[in-house]
Amino acid sequence: MAEEAVKKIVDETEATPSSRRSSSRSSRRSTARKPKKDQTLQGLILLVLVIAFGIYLATISATIGIFWLTGIAFGFILRRTNFCFTASMRDPIMTGSTSLTRAVLIALAITSIGFVAVQYGASIKGLPVPGMGFVVPISFATVAGAFLFGIGMVLAGGCASGTLMRIGEGFGMQMLSIVFFVIGSFWAARDMGWWTLNFISNGPRLHLPEIFGWTGAITVQLVFIAVLYILADRWENRNQEL
Amino acid sequence: MAEFELDCLGEACPIPLVKTEKKMQELDVGDTLIVMIDHSCALKNVPEWARKNNYDVEVEEVGESEWEIFIDKTA
Amino acid sequence: MKLSSNKYYQAWFKNPWTYVTGAILLSIFQLVTIATTDGAWGVTGPFAVWGAWVVQAFGGSVDHWYFFSTESGRAALDRTFLTDPASVRNLGVIIGALLATLLASQFKFKKIKNLRQVGAAVFGGLLMGYGSRIAFGCNIGALYSGISNLSVSGWVFALFMFAGAFVGSKLLVKYFMQ
Repeated sequence: MAEEAVKKIVDETEATPSSRRSSSRSSRRSTARKPKKDQTLQGLILLVLVIAFGIYLATISATIGIFWLTGIAFGFILRRTNFCFTASMRDPIMTGSTSLTRAVLIALAITSIGFVAVQYGASIKGLPVPGMGFVVPISFATVAGAFLFGIGMVLAGGCASGTLMRIGEGFGMQMLSIVFFVIGSFWAARDMGWWTLNFISNGPRLHLPEIFGWTGAITVQLVFIAVLYILADRWENRNQEL
Repeated sequence: MAEFELDCLGEACPIPLVKTEKKMQELDVGDTLIVMIDHSCALKNVPEWARKNNYDVEVEEVGESEWEIFIDKTA
Repeated sequence: MKLSSNKYYQAWFKNPWTYVTGAILLSIFQLVTIATTDGAWGVTGPFAVWGAWVVQAFGGSVDHWYFFSTESGRAALDRTFLTDPASVRNLGVIIGALLATLLASQFKFKKIKNLRQVGAAVFGGLLMGYGSRIAFGCNIGALYSGISNLSVSGWVFALFMFAGAFVGSKLLVKYFMQ
C-alpha cells in the first residue's frame, strides 16, 4: 500500500508541467545563449543625470523643474506598469481583453475625484478654476480628430504617451512615428483657421458641474465610469459565461 | 508532446498575441508553444491570454528586452 | 553588481507593477500637475510648435497662421525647447521610460522590421498628429485630462477614438500584418 502511494506521488511529480517545461528549457539552455547584460549601473548613472538636470532646470524656473519631474514620473510609471491607452481600446476589439480598458477607467475615476476636489476648492474661494483649459469646444473637429487619432494609434502601435514611452524603450518604429506625428500636428495647425471658422467656434464647452452642480457632476461621472467598468468586465468574461 | 517555436521578434503589438492565438489553434493538447518576443506589451498580454484559456504559462527572460513564453496546451 | 538580484530591487524595478498601481500612481501625478501648474497632463500640445521651430530655423515663418496668432501661440514661437514646459515634460516622459527600462536591464534598440511597419508608423503618426491637433489633444490631453476635468468633450473624444480604434484594428489586420 505504502509502495503504491509512493509510486503514485513519484508519477505525479514527473508529470507536473513545470518539470516538463524545465526539461525542454534545459535543452534550449544547452544551445548557446548570449549572456544577459546587467544595465543597472547605466540606469543609476541616468538617475543621477536626471536629478542633476532637474536641479539645473529648477534654477531656471521652478515650473520647468516641475514639468521635468512629472514627465519623468509619468514615463517611469507608464513603463513599469506597461500602461497602454491604445491597448485599452484596441484589445477589446482584437483580442477580447479589457484589462487595460478597466485600468484606464480606474485611472479616470481616481483622477476625476482628485480634480473635482481641486476645482471645487478653487471655485468656492472665488479663485480661477484650474484645468478649465481642458474644457474645450465640442464640434465636428472633436469627432473627426478623435476618429483619426484612434485609427492612427492602432496602426502606429502606440498613442501619444505610448509613443514617448516606447521611444524610451528603444523602439525604432515609434521614433519614426513621432516624426510624422509632429508633421501631422503641424499640418493641422496650418488648417486650424479653417477648422475654427467652420466648426470649433460654434462648439459648446460643456463642464459637468455647470450642468449638474459639483456633487451631481462627480456622481454622474463616477456612475457612468462604473457602468462602463461592468460592461468591460462582462466583455472580458463573455466566453466563460457560455 | 511536441514543441513549436513562434518567432515574434521585431513585431509590433498586438501582432505577437494575434499570431500566438492562431498558432495555438494548430497545436494538439499536450504540445508546447514557445513564443519569442521582444515587445514588453506582449510580455503582459500573451501570458494573460494564455491563463484566461487555462493553459500553463511560464515566462523566461533570455536577454535585454527578449523573452520566451512557454505555453502548454493543457486542454 | 548584484543590486539587481536583490528581491526588493526586483519587486520595485524589475517585476512589472499592476495596472491598478499604474492607475493610482498616474492619478497622483496628475494631481501634482494640476496643483502646481494650473493645468493637467498633456502630450501633443507642443508638437505643432516643434514643427514651427524647425521651419523658423530654416528662415521660414508661421506668424501669419491663425494657430500662432494668439498670445499663447506667439509666446510659444519665441521659446526654445528647454524653456517650453510641455516640451520638457515630454522629454521627461521619454527619459523616465528609459530610466525604468535600464534599471530593469531591458533596454534594447529594436529596429524596424519591414516596410509594413514603416508604412504603419508614417501613416499612423500623421493621423495621430492631425487628429490630436484639431481635437485639442490626444489620449492624454483630450481623453484622460479632459474627462478628469469633467469636460464632456473628453467623453466625446473617447467615443470617437474608440470608433477609430475599431477601424484601425481592421486596417491593421488587413494591410499591416502578414
